[in-house]
Amino acid sequence: MNTALLLAQTGGEVTTGEAVAFWILGPLALAGGLGMLFSRNAVHSALWLVLTMLGLGVMYMVQQAPFLGFVQIIVYTGAIMMLFLFVLMMVGRDASDSVVEVLRGQRFAAAVFGLGFGVLMVTALARALTDVPARGLVEANTTNGGNVGNIGRAVFTDYVFPFELTSALLITAALGAMVLAFVDRRHTERKTQREMVEMRLRGEHDRPSPLPGPGVFATANSVATPALLPDGSVAPESVSELIEATSRKTLESDVAEVAGTVPGPDAHALTGKEGDR
Amino acid sequence: MTSTYLAAELGPVDGIAQYAWLLVALPLLGAAILLIGGRRTDRWGHLLGSATVIAAFGYGLALFFSVLGLDPEQRTREVSLFSWIPVEALKVDFGLRLDPLSVTFVLLITGVGSLIHIYSIGYMSHDENRRKFFGHLNLFVGAMLILVLGNSFVTLYLGWEGVGLASYLLISFWQHKPSAAEAAKKAFLMNRVGDIGLAVAIFLMFANLGTTQYTEVFERAGELSGGVVLAIALMLLLGACGKSGQFPLQAWLPDAMEGPTPVSALIHAATMVTAGVYLIARSNPIYDLTPDGRLVVTIIGALTLLIGCVIGCAYDDFKKVLAYSTVSQIGYMVLAVGLGPFGYALGIMHLLTHGFFKAGLFLGAGSVMHGMNDEGDIRRMGGLARKMPITFVTWGLGYLALIGFPFLSGYYSKDAIIEAAFGQEGWRGWVFGGAAVFGAALTAFYMTRLMLLVFFGEKRWENLKSADGRAYDPHESPKSMTVPMIILAFGSVFAGFLLSNGGLLSGWLAPSLGKLQVAEHGVIPHAVVPLLTVALSALGALVAWLIFGRKSVRVPVERPAASWPVRAARADLYTNALNDWLVVKPSLLLTRAFLVVDNKGVDGIVTGTATVLGGGSSVLRRTQTGFVRSYALSMLGGSVLVIAAMLVVRFA
Amino acid sequence: MLLAQVEQVQVPDLDFPAIAPILIVLGAACVSVLFEAFLPRSARWAAQFGLSVLTLVGAGAALLAYLGDAPATGVTTLAGALAVDKPALFLWATLLILGLGSVFLMADRRVEPGGAFAADAAIRPGTIQDRAQATTVMQTEVFPLALFSLGGMMVFTASNDLLTMFIALEVLSLPLYLMCGLARRRRLISQEAAVKYFLLGAFASAFFLYGLALLYGYAGSIKLSAIAAAAGGSDRSDTLLFAGIGLLVVGLLFKAAVGPFHTWSPDVYQGAPTPVTAFMGACTKVAAFGGILRVFSVAFEATSWEWRGVLWGVAIVSMLIGAILGLTQTDIKRMVAYSSVAHAGFLLIGSIALTDEGRAATLFYLLTYGFTTLSVFAVISLVRDANGEATQISSWAGLAKRSPVVAGIFTVLLLALAGIPFTSGFVGKFVVFSAALADGMAPLVVIALLASAVAAFFYLRIIVLMYMREPEEDGPTVSLPGVPTTITIALGVAVTILLGVFPSAVLDWSVVGAFVS
Repeated sequence: MNTALLLAQTGGEVTTGEAVAFWILGPLALAGGLGMLFSRNAVHSALWLVLTMLGLGVMYMVQQAPFLGFVQIIVYTGAIMMLFLFVLMMVGRDASDSVVEVLRGQRFAAAVFGLGFGVLMVTALARALTDVPARGLVEANTTNGGNVGNIGRAVFTDYVFPFELTSALLITAALGAMVLAFVDRRHTERKTQREMVEMRLRGEHDRPSPLPGPGVFATANSVATPALLPDGSVAPESVSELIEATSRKTLESDVAEVAGTVPGPDAHALTGKEGDR
Repeated sequence: MTSTYLAAELGPVDGIAQYAWLLVALPLLGAAILLIGGRRTDRWGHLLGSATVIAAFGYGLALFFSVLGLDPEQRTREVSLFSWIPVEALKVDFGLRLDPLSVTFVLLITGVGSLIHIYSIGYMSHDENRRKFFGHLNLFVGAMLILVLGNSFVTLYLGWEGVGLASYLLISFWQHKPSAAEAAKKAFLMNRVGDIGLAVAIFLMFANLGTTQYTEVFERAGELSGGVVLAIALMLLLGACGKSGQFPLQAWLPDAMEGPTPVSALIHAATMVTAGVYLIARSNPIYDLTPDGRLVVTIIGALTLLIGCVIGCAYDDFKKVLAYSTVSQIGYMVLAVGLGPFGYALGIMHLLTHGFFKAGLFLGAGSVMHGMNDEGDIRRMGGLARKMPITFVTWGLGYLALIGFPFLSGYYSKDAIIEAAFGQEGWRGWVFGGAAVFGAALTAFYMTRLMLLVFFGEKRWENLKSADGRAYDPHESPKSMTVPMIILAFGSVFAGFLLSNGGLLSGWLAPSLGKLQVAEHGVIPHAVVPLLTVALSALGALVAWLIFGRKSVRVPVERPAASWPVRAARADLYTNALNDWLVVKPSLLLTRAFLVVDNKGVDGIVTGTATVLGGGSSVLRRTQTGFVRSYALSMLGGSVLVIAAMLVVRFA
Repeated sequence: MLLAQVEQVQVPDLDFPAIAPILIVLGAACVSVLFEAFLPRSARWAAQFGLSVLTLVGAGAALLAYLGDAPATGVTTLAGALAVDKPALFLWATLLILGLGSVFLMADRRVEPGGAFAADAAIRPGTIQDRAQATTVMQTEVFPLALFSLGGMMVFTASNDLLTMFIALEVLSLPLYLMCGLARRRRLISQEAAVKYFLLGAFASAFFLYGLALLYGYAGSIKLSAIAAAAGGSDRSDTLLFAGIGLLVVGLLFKAAVGPFHTWSPDVYQGAPTPVTAFMGACTKVAAFGGILRVFSVAFEATSWEWRGVLWGVAIVSMLIGAILGLTQTDIKRMVAYSSVAHAGFLLIGSIALTDEGRAATLFYLLTYGFTTLSVFAVISLVRDANGEATQISSWAGLAKRSPVVAGIFTVLLLALAGIPFTSGFVGKFVVFSAALADGMAPLVVIALLASAVAAFFYLRIIVLMYMREPEEDGPTVSLPGVPTTITIALGVAVTILLGVFPSAVLDWSVVGAFVS
């Protein structure tokens, strides 16, 4: 890029090319935003957002901010959104929330306030920004190392503190991710099979062999059926302690159901009148 | 005397006066130790409680003598303690005002307070909460001293609320008695009405003068317009009526007798109930400016003294008769201070003598009831003079002092008030003087009735059993109870003469209250008034003897049916009903609006509904759905409104 | 080449003594993260607690050392990003001491065995592993998070341009979002609170950022002084300015939990672990109002005529919402949340009185309110039953019979919140209202008095409940606090009473004069 070209692009007026680019990219970016909001599928939403970001990136470039434009595309669209998509795919893209609105008047009020906010902002901005002379970035792009140089200068002089402070945010975010996602399994380590066997044989366990399975399918299909030992006697360990410990009373309804002595579903229950008796 | 005299230069604070804060700190420290220390202090709590008050009395005496050594012009002094909120133009300073008036009260409160603390050691010896009782008593003494020592109306208000709280706690001390809880509630409610009056008065001062310090208010009271002064005077009077049991707020005082007897003696006879008189006397520069305000004070005083006397004739409860007697005697004091410069000092004098003999009478009543299984019905007594000689003698001296027997305390203080009332010009002299002297006759009547029914005549208790089924066995009380009674009896006999001899008290109080003026031309000659009073009192006593005292008269144990005036008197002249209708109902309605929310809490679930606020709250509460999207919506709504309002304000 | 002609970069000035407290806190936060990474689990609690206390004390010492020879009008440093002036120093001191109290509460492992925070927040609530960790020692990441948050708050109150302010806002918020979700008991409600706070916080940040953009468009700079200069004399259309102020203010009011932007606070106060609630209730309020004071006084003073009416309305809404909704709460933490909404309304009154008195009054109020709130939550954390804290108000019935000391302390604190004389709460309200009166806001003061009367009712209701009622059979018990909690409660109550009785010294300090820009 040479000086003449740079100078030609500046000077307080919007060129036709820029205007054409804006009127193509602007609606696209807006459509991307709306698409992100209204699509049901999370992956689609993310892709719509990519469209918006790309549109913005190109617009930055058209407006003589090439560095910002490329950063927008490379970092946001390229890195962050793609990472986002990875996560979405990993978590499961079909995980969607219920879209039935249970709050009365929520959607209506949201629409009213949303539109109200939009109207307020658009009229305010339109009122403020019509007939404002364009300033351009000629000075910033030509002196002191040009576009990138000036951004670097700003970051390391005027905005050095906010810039450094951002690191606190990043550390916090990393720490937060660790806290919320990382389970420390070291202190709950499970024993290997070999260790278990050795432990059992050393007598550090109730019995050296595993518990016998219950007699399911031998005579009945209930886990409460004990296994039989070779001599025909009952092996008490084969029935889970839980079943033994549960009093018969609490199981009565289950027993009745299995025995088929429970009355079937009552059709009148649906009307609610019979059930009131 | 004009107010400019009162606002004169304050004397320097030096010597013993620098430590005046001890007066307040000692009892409060005692209260703090006893109430925070809990059961650990049970064994020595009563001793500590008495010691702090006695120490305060000792200091008070020393202070008194140091003040005596000063020139009268230098006797008014202020000890500034600290500046509370020193924001520019809005200074609230705390300090103590040491002048003859406050020092007098200090002596009364700590002196009578000490005696009653000692008396309570014996009286409450069987009560397992004796330590708590002493804690509350100490709290009361501390608050009362703040009330009289404060150098601004705000400090006074602080003490005012403090004594109210202590009084509430002590009336309901025997919580197991529902009547005690009820009485405490009643006292609380009626006192609130009075407190609102005081608060409004303070607010009026603050709004109009920007200060509540006595010195500045009194100095600049003249700047206020007549209407404001009158309003302040009437509001202060309302406050005084609430605290001192004056019409129309007198009904709580007899009910307050549900508390232990020492409480009745200390708080509801000698000290707290006289706070209203103190308030009016202290605000004398304001009342000096408004004759109309003073007239209202006088009318209230006269009315109350008559109401108290009439109702006192009809009651059969020992302490309630004494309570109505208190109401009526305070009526005398209010009448006196309502007379302005003619009566401020007389009111205070009667307050002091009354403090002695009424405390003595109450302690005597307590002693009688102590010996009679806590029986309070005088129709079940009789002929006790032999059984309780010391009580009888001391009580008898107090009785004579109260009815104005010549040359005892009451004779000097009450007759002076009657004289001053007659000293007014025109119809006022006749009306107020007449009311006062008629009241004296009635006082003699009902007190004689009390005397005869309790100490003389047939021993009606012999064949009766008390409510708990025990037979009556009247006996003299222990030393710790009789000694204070004896001391108070001395006061009942000699205080009046000592204080009035040569205008001693009025001269002493002059720096605070102005010089006592004596009316030149009364409606009846000065010399006649004492004779008239004594004669009428004697007549009242005679009538009482004719009805109750002669051997041939048998007093029935049950209350006989009676004619309309007696029934009216027994029903408190229907003032209770009036109060209910005028004060209690509306305030209850108001509080009930809030209480409905609280009543839900009575059921264990603190959910308020059904009141305006509670209802509004419930409706609003539904906006708090727990859904983020509805929260976000309300934020968005708020933002739209804020931004729209911003733009509208700018471009409209 | 043209681009080769490069000027020497001017290194921005750096006033180390002035910003030492911030650097100490943020630096220690980083060290604390390293502790997490390299220390064995058993040694972490002691190390983290010690480091945090040391940090806060050290930062306080640095602050005091600087205070001695600080220029009276304050300085700006780091190319004007930070303004260290008397108000900022007062706020820093307040934040440090309140932060110290909060750290004490977080470190307590006796009230809740093992600490108020989950041992492993990543384990799903309700699983077997979750039950197994019920009594193991807590996660210590809260300490670095708290330090980061505190550092963010300190920067927030001193930031002199909107960008620094925005980043500080995020630095203070992000750790808070995280800490909200770390409760040991009732973990689902805690995590729900964290998500809610995060979502709404992000929403509010968007408003702030939008406002920032509009203001930049208006003034061509994000520096507060430049915005003030532009608003003072400029022929640009000020639609941008007012829309920007509106949006910016929404973001700030959200952080301060001023109604109607308060909706998050009851849910979050209730769900968050109580030490974190205490931290939020005390420190976040200080930081948010510190920022509000600075922005209003420095950047928008010239336009105060326009925005003041709007903020009158906001203050009224906030006071009414807090007072009325507080009446029907059944959970004590929610009740305190609504009380804080009402208090935010009172504070806003002080903040929009752009006088020296108003500023001093607001600072004083923040200090007193912070201490009282801290102790209130500390006491709440003590009253427990089998399920952890007994926050149902009804279960507090008859507490005075069970534990007279705790009931007495709580009574003092509630009276302070209600603004009863001889507590710090009264003095705070008194100075704020009198400053507002002096600045001609009498109607607002009348409404504020009405609101505080209504609000007093629900504080008194709890006092009545504690004293006048018989305790339930299976009611909560008061657990014995550990040393750190005891210190915090004692400090809070002492300050509440001392500032109620002898406020003059601190009132004098709080007269700090103007902001520098």
